Amino acid sequence: MVSCKAVANGTTQPRRADTDDKRKLIDSVDCFIFDCDGVIWRGDSVIDGVPETLDMLRAMGKRLVFVTNNSTKSRAGYLGKFTGLGLNVNAEEIYSSSYAAAAYLESIDFKKKVYVIGESGILEELDLKGIQHLGGPEDAEKVVALKKGEYMEHDEDVGAVVVGFDRHINYYKIQYATLCIRENPGCLFIATNRDAVTHLTDAQEWAGNGSMVGAIAGSTKREPITVGKPAEFMLDNIAKTFGLKRQQICMVGDRLDTDILFGKNGGLTTCLVLSGVTDEETLLSPENSVHPDYYMSQLSELLAVKEAAKVAA
Amino acid sequence: MTVVAADAAVSQVDAAAAAASTRPRCSTEDMLQLLQDYDCWVFDLDGTIWRGNEVIEGVLEALELLRKLGKKVLFMTNNSMKSRGSYLDKCLQDDIYCSSYSAAAYLDSIGFDRSKKAYVVGERGIMQELAAVGIESFGGPDDNEKRASFSSEMLHDTQVGAVVCGVDPNLSYYKVQYASMCLLLNPGCLFIATNTDARGHFTPNLEWAGAGATVGAIKGVVERDPIVTGKPSPFLMQDIAAKHNVQPAKSIMVGDRLDTDILWGLNTGMATLLVMTGVTDEQLLVAQRGSSNGVKPHFVMDSFGDLRRVAQQALQQQK
Repeated sequence: MVSCKAVANGTTQPRRADTDDKRKLIDSVDCFIFDCDGVIWRGDSVIDGVPETLDMLRAMGKRLVFVTNNSTKSRAGYLGKFTGLGLNVNAEEIYSSSYAAAAYLESIDFKKKVYVIGESGILEELDLKGIQHLGGPEDAEKVVALKKGEYMEHDEDVGAVVVGFDRHINYYKIQYATLCIRENPGCLFIATNRDAVTHLTDAQEWAGNGSMVGAIAGSTKREPITVGKPAEFMLDNIAKTFGLKRQQICMVGDRLDTDILFGKNGGLTTCLVLSGVTDEETLLSPENSVHPDYYMSQLSELLAVKEAAKVAA
Repeated sequence: MTVVAADAAVSQVDAAAAAASTRPRCSTEDMLQLLQDYDCWVFDLDGTIWRGNEVIEGVLEALELLRKLGKKVLFMTNNSMKSRGSYLDKCLQDDIYCSSYSAAAYLDSIGFDRSKKAYVVGERGIMQELAAVGIESFGGPDDNEKRASFSSEMLHDTQVGAVVCGVDPNLSYYKVQYASMCLLLNPGCLFIATNTDARGHFTPNLEWAGAGATVGAIKGVVERDPIVTGKPSPFLMQDIAAKHNVQPAKSIMVGDRLDTDILWGLNTGMATLLVMTGVTDEQLLVAQRGSSNGVKPHFVMDSFGDLRRVAQQALQQQK
């Protein structure tokens, strides 16, 4: 049987991993980066076989990292979710886009204040890095009445606006952020991510952070620095923190346009699971040009390696 | 949206305009030339005639002098908050083209199926203009208090055939989600923007986030561009030219924004006069004039009010 690893630019068709591929995959990398939604859990339920798979990979000495573009919780907040679902994980292994925003500001030695559009996760991560902030949930109920005499002051010490997913987005926040970006010299415009839709419930798709970021891009005519997938920042930070080279890492995700593209752009091995938003038809369709190296139905398929080893022994 | 290259547009306007476009400001001779060459004057409102609720000094006198000189005076604003009727109480006697009207006129011009509806993310003015052409709409300020509930499925009206956007001081997650669902789930649903201005002088002392924010929010979800009906889209020129029997070559657009007013004038083959009473500062003007693909006005004045002395002279000479 021929085992062919697809070339990095994805010109060959994606390969459904057989047991041999799975063993080769695990042997060839030292670290697995997992997207969360659609890979580890769906909504609030863990996908079957995942806890055992993670334990197996750890026992084999693999470094595990969990990334999510969701900025509403901090890493500590996500840890609660992992633990609640029976998964053994450390907070330092979790890369939420809320953490990425704070880590980015730390990496550029940021000393000013941040205006936040978003929920509590971003604020908690900024606190942990000792970065001063305004806005966030406390501006959720503020209303602007555009009548004569109406004015808005803004803090001239704001040196960055961070835009994350915000179910309480409103015109006050948009205007405050716009004033900071427009009027404060050198003010940064940072987006945790730009996902067009997010899967808050199973029933339907919901407007994602792409809309909050889009509002500010539209009112400032500026593009943000994006820290979440598929931008490179999180990967750089992970590689640096854990002392890894790109070839040592495999990205496992359920979305072609964020997870797999993120992995490919970063020179990682990539593996798509069909337990999330992407189905086999979409993956194999001629219109899709993002080809992972391997694909499988769900993460627990990797357990086949353990079974094969048992049989061999 | 097609954009006429700035260089080609300059060659359509006469040599006097071309010469003036190299000068920092209009000379007296330039102003006399303007009054001679252009029969139809189209003005932006915010930042050109007034700022918020305060009229800019000398502007009303200058407008009156233009009328006395027999010029056709029209107004065109991207402010989508009101309908045409409500502008009349600001002492403007002439035809006013506002972006809320442009959206309704556009849908009318393409024969929008009147059995469908429009979902509005913006102010009441858009809904009034839509009603005036027989298009049923909902949303707008009536949805200001609505909030998305994530514990139940959010439904939407499958009969929405167009989402129409303008500036919305009450923008919310609910409105963005509703509009996005219409655009993503209703086959053929049109995405219409009255304009995509980043900012507007909605109060005298401050500029506020404009329709660009509303459009950007929805575009971030649906990942497609809207059809823009207000400046700088040339759409309204056809409407104006037909109704007022004007030729672009004998018309001049006066405004304070390079990327909407001046670009609209260039796109439609008019002469363009930039005034410095609004958003454009010297730095931006110099940068645009110095760039090979910058937006370059033919004429520049500090304020439209500055025209009154020369206009008075011209009127005396006429008598």
